[in-house]
Amino acid sequence: MLSLFFLPSSDNGSTRLRRLLVWLALSIALIVYGVVGRQLFLLSTLSTVFLYVVLTQAWNILGGYGGYLNFGMVTFFGVGAYTSAVLFQYFELSPFLTAPVAGLASAVLGVLIGIPTLRIRGAYFALVTMIITFAVQTLVLDMPVTQGALGVYLQPVRLSPLGVEQLFYFLFLGCAVAVTALVYAIEHSNFGWALIAIREDEDAAEIVGVRTVEVKWIANAVAAFIAGVVGGLYAQRIMYIEPSGTFAFDISLNVVLMAVVGGAGTWQGPLIGAPLVLLVADMLRVTVTSEVNRAIFSVIVILIALFIPGGVMGVWTRWRRRHKPKTVEAPS
Amino acid sequence: MNAVSSAPILKIANVVAGYTAGHPVLRGVNLIAQPGHITGVLGPNGAGKSTLLRAIAGFLQPSSGRIVLGDEDIAALPPHRHMERRIALLPQGRSTFPELTVAENIELGGWTMRGDRARLRQAVEAMFARYPHLRALRDRPAGSLSGGQQRAVEIARLVIGDPKVLLIDEPSVGLSPIVAAQVYRELEALKAEGRTILLVDQDVRAAIKIADYAYVLSSGRNDIEGDRSAFEGDLGVMVRRWLGV
Amino acid sequence: MLDRLAFIITDGILLGLIYAIAGLGLSLVLGIMGIVNVAHSAFIMLGSFFAFELFRRLGLDPIISFFLAMPVFFLLGTIVYRALLTRIERVSQSQGLVAMFGLMVLIENLSTIAWTTDTRVITAAYTNASLVLGSLYIAQVKLIAGALALVLTLLFWAFLRFTLIGRAIRAMGQNRDAALSVGIDVRRLSAVVFGLGIACAGAAGVALAMVFPFSPNTQIQWLAWAFLVVILGGLGSVANTLIAGLIIGLLQSLSTAFLPFDYVYLVLYVLLAVILVLRREGLTLVVKRAI
Repeated sequence: MLSLFFLPSSDNGSTRLRRLLVWLALSIALIVYGVVGRQLFLLSTLSTVFLYVVLTQAWNILGGYGGYLNFGMVTFFGVGAYTSAVLFQYFELSPFLTAPVAGLASAVLGVLIGIPTLRIRGAYFALVTMIITFAVQTLVLDMPVTQGALGVYLQPVRLSPLGVEQLFYFLFLGCAVAVTALVYAIEHSNFGWALIAIREDEDAAEIVGVRTVEVKWIANAVAAFIAGVVGGLYAQRIMYIEPSGTFAFDISLNVVLMAVVGGAGTWQGPLIGAPLVLLVADMLRVTVTSEVNRAIFSVIVILIALFIPGGVMGVWTRWRRRHKPKTVEAPS
Repeated sequence: MNAVSSAPILKIANVVAGYTAGHPVLRGVNLIAQPGHITGVLGPNGAGKSTLLRAIAGFLQPSSGRIVLGDEDIAALPPHRHMERRIALLPQGRSTFPELTVAENIELGGWTMRGDRARLRQAVEAMFARYPHLRALRDRPAGSLSGGQQRAVEIARLVIGDPKVLLIDEPSVGLSPIVAAQVYRELEALKAEGRTILLVDQDVRAAIKIADYAYVLSSGRNDIEGDRSAFEGDLGVMVRRWLGV
Repeated sequence: MLDRLAFIITDGILLGLIYAIAGLGLSLVLGIMGIVNVAHSAFIMLGSFFAFELFRRLGLDPIISFFLAMPVFFLLGTIVYRALLTRIERVSQSQGLVAMFGLMVLIENLSTIAWTTDTRVITAAYTNASLVLGSLYIAQVKLIAGALALVLTLLFWAFLRFTLIGRAIRAMGQNRDAALSVGIDVRRLSAVVFGLGIACAGAAGVALAMVFPFSPNTQIQWLAWAFLVVILGGLGSVANTLIAGLIIGLLQSLSTAFLPFDYVYLVLYVLLAVILVLRREGLTLVVKRAI
């Protein structure tokens, strides 16, 4: 996997195309595996990776490009999950149909949350988004419609175990590819530049005419929509949701971690971060207890945040820059 | 205040400094501030005057060159270590601690004598004796005062530490002509006590009036220099024309 | 009815005093250093376990632990500052924030390894005793914790107001360059400020442990409470922090009394949102003001 990143490169179009082709090849390989793969465990692990890629990419829009770190991504995810679950509970609508509705519900919440929170900057935003998770979790615990701590059960999909795994494998893979394409498009659009301008210097961005508040709102709503959709699908996948697991702060933290490890503010970052983090987590899980595992993890987070700015992608671009001048610069 | 007899000489040699690598604001500045004199640094906007003072005061580390105070190179000295060497900066614009009272502001100016509280208290009282109009304001938050009053607080906060070399950045900006005149009179009084003053000013006329010697800084270099008589004569005409004054 | 109201208000005030000190250290570190100490509540939790261990092993009364916690956590804070914060100050804000979250999770998990996720309580001699004033019953333990919190708040207030180093700390928050110019070693003083913030967190943890059950993995709720206090009180002053704590305490006891239990949190979260809307550009400006 890592060898993919050590291609000789410069900025000309053909190599960029070549790098895109590498990603395309990887997608095709994953599709082929989805068809021929028979190991339930691997299929299920990979679909979790895809799920996290989607969430991390969604986070990446406002967090990576815009510099607004949302430490409550799970809020949107959980609201999506509950929307689909409740719609099934009362109207027997399949989450496969209601996932977009779940996304909309999350997006509406995203806009509502955005009104007060997107005016505040930096660390405050991070803390408030985290607090909102607790608020929504409390609300879900208290509201009769969500059945509080009892949770909501959903109907199993009428397929063989392999069929079920394959179904979610392709659903989440499809979402991951679509969302990655969206983030790629954003990165290369005016909207992406506006977000980066906000990250670099919000006051300056405002002065040169970036409509910062609207840009942040849209970014937040889009992220919320995406998280809501996969939340709805997730509810169907695990078939039972309850407040503490569905709104677990760990999910929010994982998303930020994956983005930071892979490289926030790049479309490749989440593609690298999500599998890497889950891989390391799995390896640690089989060797040590979960507390030790998470303690080690937090040390890794601290070290990466302090010593490896830009995560894997940051290292990669710096490496590339160091090796580029030899070929590009003409002797004077 | 007891007269300062032994102000050290301040020499700036080939100083290169800036805020981003590869784009120096100062591109080789050389000057000498003679003890007990007022040395003016003139020049157009963006010439690097304030940057020069910030570099001398330790807020900006030169990438090359030497800043020598007496016989010590202070180019790499962190900013908070300057006061104990009796060299202090009066920055441009407001620099009081706005929510502390006037007395507290002045008291903190004497931070270097915090080991001896009795002496510090005496020094604060000496400042109120020296600037009697501040006495009535002593318990007011500094931020609630007028621009001129705040300038007085800043000067008192500077003088309490008995600095021998003063780095003064645009002392009259934003002040009324009357207050500005008072500030320049105060600078002359400080010089009369034997202190060295390095004065950066855009008000060329006011600066030349009190400076013993002046340098003209432009684009991060000093090209022209001379004593007061030179600036009053042909050189002065040239510089003024060049600066558009 | 009047008795009940008197009880609710007393209870709210006592809780409010405790909430105020939970937010005090956070407000100090944020106001002076501009750093949101996300790990603040993790240190609060460590304070609770500090009292727990001293009580369990040595039978030490939490009142004594409260005062012991201050120097111990001050030292801990300065160590953390030197090891981590000096680096965090050098990287971008978002990286620093991620690192602080990392620290929070690290402390939480190390504590889980040490103490498991079991919920603990400290049962001192006076834990279940009540003070009777006419028909008014006040839990002694809340009275003691509230009084300790008030003492700590007053100590902080007096320190920042009347000592030279306290004034230097405020000066540093108001104008860092000018503080450097007068010769204040801002870096060293930052270590002191962070130490004080953590000392306050530790002491708050002890006071909280006297009144509430605690466990490593519920610490994060205290971050929310502390942050609420900071948002409501702004970074204006120790006095404002105290008032904010009292308001939140009263709101809690009132809504606990008149609403189903869990809605307390909702009331507070709505309050949070309202403040944020009202303050609009607010907080970024508020940050620049100092304690």
